[in-house]
Amino acid sequence: MTAATRGYRRSTGSAIALWSARFGWRHVVMIVVAAFALFPVLFVVSAAVNPVGTLSSARLWPTGAGFDNAADLFRNTPFTTWYANSLFFAVANAAATVFLSALAAYAFSRMRFRGRRVGMVGLLIIQMFPQFLAIVAIYLMFSTVGEYRPEVGFDTRWGLLLVYLGGALSINTWLMKGFFDTVPRELDESAQIDGATHAQVFFRIMLPLVTPVLAIVGLLVFISTINEFLMASVFLRDTDAKTLGLGLYQLVESQRNANFGMFSVGAIMLSLPTLIVFWFLQRYITEGLTAGAVKG
Amino acid sequence: MSSRNSAGAPGPGAPARTSPPGGGLAGSGSLWGQVAKIALLGLFTALGVWAALPLYVGGNWAGIAVVAAVLVLVYWVYLSKRTVPLKYLLPGVLFLIAFQILPVLYTMSTSVTNFSDGHRGDKEQAIAAIEAYSVTRAEQGREFGLTVATTGDPETGELVFLLTDSDGTAYAGDIEGLRPLDDATVDPASGRVTEAFGYTVLTPAQVNARSQELEEFAVPVGDGAGIRANSLSTAYEGRATRVYDAGCDCVTDTSTGVVYTADDERGAFYSEDGERLAQGWRVNVGFDNFARFLFNPTFASSFFTILVWNIGFAVAVTGLVFVVGLAIALTLHVPRLRGKKAYRILVVLPYAMSSLAMYLLWRDMFNTDFGLFNQLLGTNVDWLGDAWTARFAVILANVWLGYPYMFLVATGALQAIPRELTQAARIDGAGAWQAFRHVTLPMLMVAMTPILIATFAFNFNNFNAVWLITKGGPFPPDDPSAGATDLLITYTYRMAFSQATAEYGYAAALSVMIFVIVSVMSVISLSRGKALQEVDR
Amino acid sequence: MRLRSAPAIAALAATALMATACGGGDEDAQENTDTTLVIWSDPERAAAIEAAAQNFADTNGVRVDVQQLAFGDIQGDLLNAHQAGNAPDIFIGAHDWTGNLVRNGAVQPVELPEHRAETLDETSVQALTYDSQLFGVPYSQENIFLMRNTALAPDAPETFEELVEVGTSLKDGGETSEVLSMAVGQEGDPYRMNALFTSAGGYLFGQDAEGNWDPNDLGLNSDESIAAMEKIAEYGESGQGVLRRSIDTQNDASLFFDGEAPFFIAGPWNIGDADAADLEYAISPIPGFEGEGPARPYIGYQAFFITEGSANSALAQEFLANHVTDPGFILSLYESDPRTPVQLEALEEVSASDANIAAIAEAGAEGMPMPSIPEMGETWEPLGKAEAAIIGGADVRETMESTHETIAEKIGG
Repeated sequence: MTAATRGYRRSTGSAIALWSARFGWRHVVMIVVAAFALFPVLFVVSAAVNPVGTLSSARLWPTGAGFDNAADLFRNTPFTTWYANSLFFAVANAAATVFLSALAAYAFSRMRFRGRRVGMVGLLIIQMFPQFLAIVAIYLMFSTVGEYRPEVGFDTRWGLLLVYLGGALSINTWLMKGFFDTVPRELDESAQIDGATHAQVFFRIMLPLVTPVLAIVGLLVFISTINEFLMASVFLRDTDAKTLGLGLYQLVESQRNANFGMFSVGAIMLSLPTLIVFWFLQRYITEGLTAGAVKG
Repeated sequence: MSSRNSAGAPGPGAPARTSPPGGGLAGSGSLWGQVAKIALLGLFTALGVWAALPLYVGGNWAGIAVVAAVLVLVYWVYLSKRTVPLKYLLPGVLFLIAFQILPVLYTMSTSVTNFSDGHRGDKEQAIAAIEAYSVTRAEQGREFGLTVATTGDPETGELVFLLTDSDGTAYAGDIEGLRPLDDATVDPASGRVTEAFGYTVLTPAQVNARSQELEEFAVPVGDGAGIRANSLSTAYEGRATRVYDAGCDCVTDTSTGVVYTADDERGAFYSEDGERLAQGWRVNVGFDNFARFLFNPTFASSFFTILVWNIGFAVAVTGLVFVVGLAIALTLHVPRLRGKKAYRILVVLPYAMSSLAMYLLWRDMFNTDFGLFNQLLGTNVDWLGDAWTARFAVILANVWLGYPYMFLVATGALQAIPRELTQAARIDGAGAWQAFRHVTLPMLMVAMTPILIATFAFNFNNFNAVWLITKGGPFPPDDPSAGATDLLITYTYRMAFSQATAEYGYAAALSVMIFVIVSVMSVISLSRGKALQEVDR
Repeated sequence: MRLRSAPAIAALAATALMATACGGGDEDAQENTDTTLVIWSDPERAAAIEAAAQNFADTNGVRVDVQQLAFGDIQGDLLNAHQAGNAPDIFIGAHDWTGNLVRNGAVQPVELPEHRAETLDETSVQALTYDSQLFGVPYSQENIFLMRNTALAPDAPETFEELVEVGTSLKDGGETSEVLSMAVGQEGDPYRMNALFTSAGGYLFGQDAEGNWDPNDLGLNSDESIAAMEKIAEYGESGQGVLRRSIDTQNDASLFFDGEAPFFIAGPWNIGDADAADLEYAISPIPGFEGEGPARPYIGYQAFFITEGSANSALAQEFLANHVTDPGFILSLYESDPRTPVQLEALEEVSASDANIAAIAEAGAEGMPMPSIPEMGETWEPLGKAEAAIIGGADVRETMESTHETIAEKIGG
């Protein structure tokens, strides 16, 4: 930082002044921001341990502590099954989307073909059609599919996964394409001159170089899949086939109770995998999101 | 590998070489690649066969044609040398077409129909329902104990009702009519026939297998009445009061004598004085749905208000998350700041939380009497009850959820900017702000524009953001259909699903409108911004 | 290319054949499925229904599969699924869905044998009847009632004025922070409000001589209805502050359970939590306004319906006609999900052992079945929003008149 180039004067008073000019305000700002970021989280945690378990009885600070809500959740719902289902969808969808999207991004980044521009803009625009209206169409489609192949019809994981994969090419492809662009063309061109096929260039040269953006897109898809419940509510009806997001949604939607304590426990549990994935991918994230920040 | 390395990449002036299509070198692919290719294609073929088998059994030739066409396409793409880009695009595009584009096209096609509650099925279904629903118990209609039997094979033989009336007299009834049954064994406890010479009694499962047949089966007893089953063990005498006549394309109510004539423009049966039968069918109504909102002044004004707020909302959220995220990134963008890692985790936390739960939580925090905000601030603001505070609440909640992503993006982008550049600017005498404004920011924008566009597009249609917090409210007392925080998408959702009569056709027409508006806006902003130039690079 | 293609295609064919062979194995496994009766239920009742239906399943040698959906999603999903041809055989629902289900041709009529129909509460059967045809078999009813904290308010109030008086003195004395906990919410709650609205003389739809609802007689802009809403507005936020939008279904119960409100407009769904909460409570009818009519809460019936086009309709009909009306079945449902039965024998038995059920039934004595005509559905949202606005202080006449117009336009169109 430029401040570092200024001279150092070694009186304590000015050292403090320097410190506060350089770091002090930053700490103040960050504490404010962290408070803003944290208080709803604190609220949900306190609701999770609050023995009463309704939303409005929850306070910012826990008024009591107990694991009744957690116990209720495990006792009254097939929580572990839901959890496993959620992880299945999140991981499978993230993996497949990353792969499909990377393939497409490679083509968009490295090849010139007719319809390329239309294709990319189209990818953005198709996302803007309200998905929920398509539910009727999805119903009709999968009812027909289910008649012939019940394995991928309604109430199956594979069916829902297929629908999720319909969104594999999306803004994420743009993100990846931007990152692919930052990899110097000379690298793959020289490899091709050495006799590598385009597939070899893609798998052996490109993919290892773009790991950060793969990690990012994987994370993004992971998060959005784990929070998805609209399509899941159409597809999954067997109690054991449900995802955690869907199960939780039905828990609050159900008219009988304000199960907010249980819901909060579930919400926290639902956030855990994201946090863990986040933690492990952390070192890629700052790199991956830049998407070719500096090109001159 | 990081983008930092790419700082040394050729600048924009470097000619974008048209790379020779890699397909030219496909021949020298490794053995491994060939094997993988064959295996994958084989697997795909197997998948095709797997999909086609039941279609073949079911005689669905159109389905088989689709499967075959996809197979041929895949073979062509992966065996030809001239389709290199397609080799990479096809897998994703196939999914995209099947599960996004086709459903969207279907939905668009319903926008010119009257598809809505009461108009879901086709005409035959409506007629069937009208007739079935009009069957009522005849005046002083008899009840019978019922045993379903057949004279032939349990699966296909002609159905016969073995009946016992309240006196215990046994009858056999079939499609011909009712006749006494002499040699039947009647179980005294249930009063039902258990055995009769010449008839095979069906088990419950066997009867159930013939449910559809049973629904239409009636033993005629004259005067239009018939004996029908109302459970596996009982039957009653009833009559259909409404009958369809294909000749006049009308339904006659035999009890009142009213004639309802089919109106194929509106998709329902209407009587002479305008009464309609509840069960209608779906018909094409051309551009009526569009006309309905384009030429309706109330609608036009609420549509316009919603559109303005919708754009305002998306701009505000996108702008604020950008500013907040960038500000935090800049604050943390200094070497040797103590606790940087901890701050980073704390600040990013909202992003990891389940958004569904968090929206509900924010809604509750804005409650007037019990919400956290009024408690902490000591105020008594009716946050969600007033248009502007509700808008503020919705924006605030979304900034909370959205800024961590921007923070991450901005942090990455900042780190990729070589420090020498800013330093150079400062040495040239620029102030900190000027250095940021003229050096850092422009470089940041290059990286962040696509992400900003994506954020804008996402928030423009951010259904949960509004639905879970305000459901579009508060509503002006005189217009409960368009609320102050309604986005076009929540407004459409209310049209299609949330009100008593689901109006898909109308909602689809609205969606098409929204779609057109958003697309035009995006294309314009894309072509004016840098993002699309990037595409052309 | 051509040279390489030959072995490639041979290898392909081999792989294909192998994979197909594996696929073929699945095919056989699919063949021998038993008859399965699929029932849609909300998560609360699913286990109860599954257990209670087991007897039916065993008797008829079939399987019963109960699938769970959020209660509010059942109707919409059913209509979509029915259209697509993959609906369940049976589903549970509220009686006021009947009109819309019938209009979409999504349900089958049910013809109860007389000796079965006789055992059900007559009003409940009437409520499931549309166009003189029965479309579902009711099994339980529910209505809202007044729950009071007997430590704070020992006596049941006779009139709404008395309730407000008792509550206000408690509030002024600092013992509670609310007079009454009645959910209104930002969008209003016409379901709960109907009790007060009818007491003050308002009406939504008129009825003909036979008790059928008349959608052409919409009463919201009538002088009676406006006067009724004016009466309610007196207790609103710009009046006495008893009815407030900040109280909604998320917090109404906890206000009462925390001892912050002496009175609570509650439903049977609150009983479980009330028993678990640390307070003494009693149930009584919702009091009407002094000198006006009685408060008439809506009565909702829960019923079993059969989907039109169900492949197992014979079994489904059997299930509805002879099992849903069976006291044994109802009692076993009651045990895991206590709701007031409409099967008379079961009701008698349950009332004898459960004082709450008897008290709720008494509170519902003046109630009215929720209208089940499809037009009813169009009223909820506008009317609720109007009520919320009025409680917030909007002009009553203006609001009611424009709401009347909105609803009339929707019904007419």
